[in-house]
Parts: sequence; structure tokens; C-alpha cells
Amino acid sequence: MSNAHVAIHADQLNRTVPLGDRSLTILDDVSISVNDGETIAIVGASGSGKTTLLGLLAGLDRPNSGTVAWHGETISTLSEDALAKKRQGTVGFVFQSFQLLPALTALENVMLPLELASNPEAEARATEWLGRMGLAERIDHLPRQLSGGEQQRVAIARAFAASPKIVFADEPTGNLDTDTGAEIIELMFKLNRDQGTTLVLVTHDLDLATRCNRFIRLARGKVVAS
Amino acid sequence: MNFKLIFRFVKRELRSTEARILVLALAVAVGSVGAVGMFADRVKAAFANQANVLLGADVMISGDRALPRELAEQAKALGLKLTESTRFGSMVSTKVGGDAALSDVKAIAAPYPLRGVIETREATKSANERGARIPLSGVPGAGEVFVDERLALRLDVKIGDRIELGKLSPRVAQIFVEEPEVAGNFLSAAPKVLMSVADLAASELIGPGSRASYRLQVAGERADEFSAVVKPKLAPGQRLETVRELRPEVRNTLERSEQFLGLAASFAVFLAVVSIVLALRRYLKRELDTATLFRTLGAGRTQTLMHFVGQFAVLSLIACVIGVTLAWLAQAGLVFAVRGLFASELPNAGWAPLVRAFLTGIVLLLGFALPPLFALASTPPVRALRRDMPAPTSGGIAAGLLGASAVLGVVLLQAQDLKTGAIFVAGIVGLVGAATLGAALLLWGVRRVTRSRSKKPWQLGLANLDRRRLSTSIQIACLALGVMTLITVGFVRADLFVAWQKSLPADAPNRFLINIQPEQIDTLTAVLKERGHTAAFYPMVRGRLVGVNGQTVSAKDFADERAKRLIDREFNLSSSAKLPPANTILAGDFGTATDGLSLEDGIANTLNVKIGDTLNFDVAGEKFEVKVTSLRKVDWDSFRVNFFALIPKATIDPLPKSYITAFHLPSNDNKTLPALVNAAPNVLAIDVSEIMERVRSIVDQVAKALEFVFLFTLAAGLLTLYTAIVSTQDERRYDTAVVRTLGGTRSQVRNSLIAEFSLLGFAAGVLGVFGAIALTWALATRILKVEFIPSPMVWSVGLVLATLCTLIAGWLGTRSVLSTPPIQVLRENG
Repeated sequence: MSNAHVAIHADQLNRTVPLGDRSLTILDDVSISVNDGETIAIVGASGSGKTTLLGLLAGLDRPNSGTVAWHGETISTLSEDALAKKRQGTVGFVFQSFQLLPALTALENVMLPLELASNPEAEARATEWLGRMGLAERIDHLPRQLSGGEQQRVAIARAFAASPKIVFADEPTGNLDTDTGAEIIELMFKLNRDQGTTLVLVTHDLDLATRCNRFIRLARGKVVAS
Repeated sequence: MNFKLIFRFVKRELRSTEARILVLALAVAVGSVGAVGMFADRVKAAFANQANVLLGADVMISGDRALPRELAEQAKALGLKLTESTRFGSMVSTKVGGDAALSDVKAIAAPYPLRGVIETREATKSANERGARIPLSGVPGAGEVFVDERLALRLDVKIGDRIELGKLSPRVAQIFVEEPEVAGNFLSAAPKVLMSVADLAASELIGPGSRASYRLQVAGERADEFSAVVKPKLAPGQRLETVRELRPEVRNTLERSEQFLGLAASFAVFLAVVSIVLALRRYLKRELDTATLFRTLGAGRTQTLMHFVGQFAVLSLIACVIGVTLAWLAQAGLVFAVRGLFASELPNAGWAPLVRAFLTGIVLLLGFALPPLFALASTPPVRALRRDMPAPTSGGIAAGLLGASAVLGVVLLQAQDLKTGAIFVAGIVGLVGAATLGAALLLWGVRRVTRSRSKKPWQLGLANLDRRRLSTSIQIACLALGVMTLITVGFVRADLFVAWQKSLPADAPNRFLINIQPEQIDTLTAVLKERGHTAAFYPMVRGRLVGVNGQTVSAKDFADERAKRLIDREFNLSSSAKLPPANTILAGDFGTATDGLSLEDGIANTLNVKIGDTLNFDVAGEKFEVKVTSLRKVDWDSFRVNFFALIPKATIDPLPKSYITAFHLPSNDNKTLPALVNAAPNVLAIDVSEIMERVRSIVDQVAKALEFVFLFTLAAGLLTLYTAIVSTQDERRYDTAVVRTLGGTRSQVRNSLIAEFSLLGFAAGVLGVFGAIALTWALATRILKVEFIPSPMVWSVGLVLATLCTLIAGWLGTRSVLSTPPIQVLRENG
């Protein structure tokens, strides 16, 4: 299966959660492949398993059965710490609720993944990325002093600053108004092109989904359209 | 470990209320341990110095033969001051064949005394007037003696006269009132003579076989160390004494004071711990997001754990440094505030209490934080996508056990003795149990009240309490603890110390008359009555204990040092038709004491004697047997005439005996004593006012000192109240926002909040008042040993204040939710 052009390969993923004495199937035999540099949207109704799939593809969660590989390397069998290490520098995240640490400034939030990876140029790179996001004047602001759109731009800077190969985004426009949402999407697609990253995003927004190279529709844990 | 990152986080975290409260709570804990520790050490040292005046030294070793040089060498090696003396009984007379009196002679050399001073009287114009006491410096030179006032009166000698002492006729260089060594068995005290050790050989008073006590007295900072080193090496016939062993009154007072200071500190620590736990809960909740993000961004479990451990270590360090600084400032303030209370400069405190406080802080925070930190480090990264995932269990049982052992360790260290510590811990466990039970009962009541379908706003508020059952119980328990502390502090200050100070009444007997012959009782009673004094006379015979249950006993039969001494020494036996005041029967029946022996409980324990055993005594060759029919507890603090053994009247009657009595002599009365001595020249009057003064001043000082120590407890109590109230603020703000989103009006929300906080405050108030009653009762009866007087006024005020304060503080903390758009609150807390 290993193919240098395949960024993510998921094979027969199953995810169940215990519910009383039974178990609830959230993902049922899902297999997908995402090529390098591709943009892909995961769509579906609430409770269809979109976010669960994103978690598995991003190595944040483990499947009950099936495997996930990044660039041909299986990650679902790695130990917790090895997987964490693997995430450093391979993947970046953009969340619906931004997930910025409220006590840290914009600059410090962007520096965080670089510092966790002991990157000696953390500050310079973070400053540069905030500049590219048009936030050069706001690097010392705390998240609560920034608007929703600005907070998400900080989060995008944080995701791209560590030069990831794959960026995962979970409803990146979910907490933003339409105009700001459109602006953020524009930015993400531009960066994706410039950096040559692979982009996997979960969304409700069909307009957004259609802008991607392709989309996967989930219903009751199964891929119903691709 | 990325220290730069850790420091940045700490710097940023310190902006948040959660982190600040945590640091503050820890600083208060460290501050109270440190301040109380330092202050208690200084005060204890001062008390010990004052009490040691009664011994003239910190430690005294005495032996019936000359003491080996090694003892003195040992003392020198520890940098202690020391002096050696020889004490013996001898007849002293004015001229050969003239008036003579058996005296207690001490051959001394400078420096003497090591603690306290020899006191004389200022010269006065008229012979009838008694001058004020002034210290006397120096010791008698060769060919000189200092004699005490009583002997001078008895032999009618003045300064410059000569007396006959063995083969010498030294000159009376000084007449003194008192010299420090008043400790010991004052009933055997004879008038004192101090001579120079240089004259001892020439006097030929000490020869082979003479009964004399050879003594080494030492004083200095390392005296305790000296005791510890020397005690196990003492040969038979040698004994080591400290003032605690000599005077039960002083020992009791000192121990009680130490216990009390330790308890006050334990309490402050315990309350601070409650604040720490509450603050930690909120803080860790906040840190959950950080942990999730760390894990998502590629930090491994170990890296995340190390980061948080580092962060907590730095926070603890900051709190400890603040706490230690606070402690130092506070104890300096305390010392300044109680200046003048202590006769001398307070001895300096060592660094030990501060180091102890510092370690306490580290142990406390890490003890509570480590298990949850492990849990935090294992936060699944997928939580970044699912914020509604349950938080990882905060370490569960391991956390509880580690935290509990940290507190236990700190409390035991603080209480400094296992029993007090254990009682304290048991008390706290009982209290928390009672509070939880009380809270559960209350919630049960709430459920009944709020059962109706259509709820009024106030019912909604109460139903909220029930819904957050766990946090409500914790909150009520913590509030109750705070309330209990505040009421207790108020009560202790107001009533308890006054009672304690009064437990040593101003008119307690301060003069003992001994050696009274049976035929002199009537005369003395008349002399005393004429001057408004009443006194009971107790017969006294001195007898040796020679057998237990028919078996002959000697000192060899007992392993216990005190038992050996008791057997070697003569007992003072007396008899009384009814139970003397300040005595309580612990076992048996005193009513039958007319035909049995009533023994002091402590001595019965030492000798391992029970009710029903028979004891054989030998009084000047006359042997008799008595059966133990009752055991008594004697309140030695009462300063009354008390006996270890009371025997039947019929047994004592035929024996050769003298009588003893005690009465209170006001300090301005200088006529009664001469009148008594005139009426019965053989009678010895013993002055115990000095000892009483010491005990009374110790009690006064402890009472004052404790008021300051309680300020820390007070601060810790207030902090607990605050953290308890804010601990549920987030949930409450969130709930309120939901209610408002769903159409609840401001007034409905307000009424609901008021109902909630009033009930919380009232419940905590009731529990707190009950806790305070139990605590003050225990303090009064178990530690201070005074009568417990209920004070409903303090309790009612406490209850009302608790309710109002909780309502106001809770309201102030939550009120902003009424003016904030609900969506903002929901976003912040979502």
C-alpha cells in the first residue's frame, strides 16, 4: 500500500464506544486515501462520525481496528509518546474554538508547538508567521483582546509555523460570521497552496466543501459518497 | 525540561485568579507554619529560661559522690556555661553552744547562679520596714557566707557578724531573700547558707561517709543536647534534672502552652490546606486545556508531565518564598507587639522553623498536585476535538492517599507529639464527616421542599444546590470549617483565656508552714485568724515504702528511675477525713479512706500499684500495712497542700508527726510572718510566691502570644471562606447564563441566587457553630483544663454573620452574570 504520493491512508477503520452494556459504532469500516497536496473535506450530518474520523486520521485517537498511515508509515501502532513525537512537525491543527491558551500572548501561542519541538528559532518564526497573517501589531495581545477572526488567524499561524505536511481543520469557520469565515477559508487555501501541505477539513458548509479537491460524505459512520 | 517555557507559563499563569489564590493559600500555610514555629520557638525558649530560673540552670546533674570530670568536659565541649557546687545539711550557730539551726548549706563558686539572680533587700530606714528586692551580684569569698533572711531572723545575726560553720567562723557578708534554686521538694527546705567552695575543705564539714549532694549545673543553647548525651551514661546515684521534672505546676503550664501553640498552627495549616485543595481544583480544571493542547501539538506524556511538575515546583517555590517572608515579618511583628511582656529579650529563633515551613509548602502542594498532574499529563489529545469529554480522573485514590499523608505528616510535625496530632486529625475527620452528613441531610430537606412541579425562583435556587450535590457538600463543609475557626478564635480570645488566667486565683496559698507541732495548732490558728487568714492543718509523717503486697521492695526492684527515687526517699504521709480540695477520685471510694490508703494516680502508675494492693510503710521503725482503696487525681496547679498518699487517721494518730498548712499572704503584709515565728519559733515558713508568679506570668504571656498566633488562623479561615465561595462560581455563572438564555428574568435569577447563598450560609453557619462548640469544649476541658462556659451570644452572632457573609460574598462574585450577555458567559465556559 505504501506510496510516496499518498499522504494519509486509512484502512478499514472501526471505532466503537461503550454505551452501558452494549457498544455504539461510530465509524464502520472506513477506508480512505488522501494524496500529497490534496485538499479534502469530510462532510455529513451531526453525529455522522466526521470529527471521530478526523481524530483518527490526525493521530489524536486510536481506532478499535484498522490502521492509519502517514506517508506510508503506520501510526496507529506507535506508542503514545512516539505518536506525539510524530505529530510534531508532521501535522498542524485548526479548531473551531481556536484553542488558544488564554494566558499566553498571540506570539507565545504561535511559539508553543515550535518550543515543544525545541526549535531554537521559535520566536523568529512565530513573529514572521504572525506578520504574514497581518497581525504584526498584535503579537503581544492576549486572545481575549483579539476578535474571533484574529484569534483564528493566530491559530492558523500556529498550525503552519511548524511547517507541517498535513493540516487538519475541524469546522474552522464554525465560530465566525460569514464574511470573516470566508476570509479565513481564503487564507487557509492560499497557505495550503504556498506551502504544499495536505489539508483535511471537517465542515458543515457545502460551499467550503466544494472548494476542496474532493469531499467524503459520512452517514451513520459509513462513507456514503466520495 | 524546557525551563524557559516553564517560567513563561508561570509568569502568565500568575495573572489568573486561580493561580493567585493557589499561591496565596500555600503562602498562608507556609506563613502560619513558619511564623508560629519561629514565634513558638522563641517564646518557648523564653519560658524555659524563666522556668529554669527556678533551677538556677537549664540542667542540673547531682550525685551522692563527686561527679566525674567527663561531665564538665562534655558541657564545655558543647559551649555551655557551667558551675559546680556541693550541698549538704549542717548545724549553724552564732557562737559555740549558742542558738543553732539546721541549715541547707551550699558551697558555690562563680559564676553562680547560671539562671536568675540572688536577691537581697534594699536597706530601709526603720527595722520594721521591709525593703524592695534587688539583685545581688557576686558570690561569697573565702571566709564569707551569705545567709538567708529566715536564718538571720532566727539566729539574730546581721551583716558583719560571724557564725559557726564546721571548723570555721565565716563573716556574714550578705543577707539574701531568695536564691534561684527554689525548685525541688520545698517541704524539706531548711534555711539556706551559701559559702565559698574554697572554704569547704577547711570547714571539715564533708568527710568520708557524709551525706552531701555534688552538683553540676549547666546552661546554654545546647543544654538539651547535653541532657540527651549525658542521661544514658549516668551512674547509679546520679540524676539529671530539668525544671520540668522538678515542678509539676511549671511542667503542666509549659506543656499546655506548647500544645496550644502547636494546635493553633495545625489549625491554620489545615484551613490553608482546604483552600489549597479548593483552589487546586479550579486551577487544574483550567490547566486541562493547556494539557490537551500540549498533547495535540506533539508533546508526549513525559514531556507534558515534566512541564506541569516544573510549573508547580516554581509556583510552590514562589509561594514558599512569600510564605517564609510573611512568616519572618509576622513573627518579628509578634515579638514587637508582645515586647515588655517578657522580662528579658526574647531569645533568637533559629532557621529551623523557616526551613520546616518551606518544606511544608513543597510537600503540601506536590502532595496534592502530583496525582492530578499525572492524570493531566495523560489527557487524551482527542479532547481538543471533543471538549465535552469527561476530564481525566484526578488521580482518584492515589491522590487522596498522597494528599492525606502530606497533611497528616505536616500536622503531626506541627503538633510535635503523636497524641495531640492524632486527636487533632481524628477531630478533623469527625468534623468533615459531620459536615458531609449535615450537608446530605440538608439536601434531603431541599429535595422535599423543591418537589413541586411549578418552581418559584427561590425553589429553583435550592434545587440548584441539590443538583450540584458533591460541590455543595464540599462547599458547605469548607464554609463550616471557616465559620468554626472564626467563632472559636473569637471565643478563645474572649472567654477561654480569661478562664485560664483565673484558674490560678490571685488568693491561692503562697506560704506553707511546716514542722508545726500538734500543740502549736491552736496558737497558730489564733494568730492566723487574728489577721483574717483561715487554714487547714494536715498531719504529716515521713515514712519509707518497704513492701508491696507483703513482699519487701527496694529500689533495685524497679526499672523506672522515678520509682527508684520514690523508694529511696521518704514519703510524706498524711490523713484527711474528707477529700481535700483540688483532688478528684479516679477509682475506688474515698469514703472508705478512713480505713484505707488513697494514692495519687501518677505515683500508683509509676509503682504499678492497683486498688486492693497493700503497701507496707516504715515510719521511724514503726511498721504498718495499708490497703489501697482509692486513686486520686491531684491538681498540682492549685498550689494547695497536696499529698501523694493519704492514710487512715487511726494509723497516723499514734505516729510521731508534725503538721503542715498553707495560706495566702498578701505581698504588703509584713506582720503575719514575724508573729507566726514568734508564736512558734520552730515552724518553717516556705515562700512559693516566686514559683506562682512565674507560672502566672507564663500563662499571661501565652494568652497574649496566642492572640497573635490566632491572627494567622483567622487569615487562613477567611481565605477558606473565600475559596469555598468562589469554588463553584464558574458552574453557577454558567447555570445562570443558561437560565437567562431560556428566558429567566433578572429578578428571577437574583431571587434564585439569594435563596441559594442564604441557605448555603445558614447551613454552614449551623454546622460551624456546632463545630465551634465541640472545639471550644475540647480546648477548655482537655487542654486548658478550665470549666467550659457556653456562650450563646457568640454563637448566635456567628450564625448570623456566617449567613450574611456568604450571601454578600456569593452575591458579589456572581452578580456580574446579571449584567453580562449570557452568550458571552456561555462562550467563556463552554
